[in-house]
Amino acid sequence: MDPQTQLELSKLNDADKKELNQILANEAQKSNIQQMVHQLNDVCWKKCVTGRITSKTLDRNEEACAANCVDRWMDTQMGILKHLENMRGH
Amino acid sequence: MSFLGGSSSSSASSGDVKTAVVQQLQQEAAMTNARALIQKINENCFTACVPTPGTSMSSQENTCLSSCMEKYIAMWNITSRTYINRIGVESKRMGGDASLVASMGSGL
Repeated sequence: MDPQTQLELSKLNDADKKELNQILANEAQKSNIQQMVHQLNDVCWKKCVTGRITSKTLDRNEEACAANCVDRWMDTQMGILKHLENMRGH
Repeated sequence: MSFLGGSSSSSASSGDVKTAVVQQLQQEAAMTNARALIQKINENCFTACVPTPGTSMSSQENTCLSSCMEKYIAMWNITSRTYINRIGVESKRMGGDASLVASMGSGL
């Protein structure tokens, strides 16, 4: 790390510490979401873009497939959670 | 002596330090995100465009790669938008606060 970017965290006052904690929590959530999008896009690309690639843009079918893929993936996740909850009840 | 070894003679205020931490955090997050995207593009577009690797890249393979790259990013944007919408809906349904998630729609 170059000396100018070294951070003197001991200089933070309580208000700034608190604010920084909030910003950190938000950034962490954003980062989790981005990772999820990478994973989802990988899955959905494999399902939706199966033909030879001839264009820089998604065609109508691929576009619809991409959005459906994400929504059905979420449905699957919700379904699994619901089913697990039912199993626990028995 | 500061935590990360900065010189104690510097006149940085608490606010300066806060700004620097946030900047560094956001830079690193952007790098991590870009690296993940590049890796996924490499994997998926290599599979799609170079089915049988020859002794060099053909011009068709190169054309395919640049199309594939743009297409992958176009799909990433749809995936991101759809996913963020959906988690917004789900967290609202469960009575949570979706304002942060909703605010990310444009920021990713």
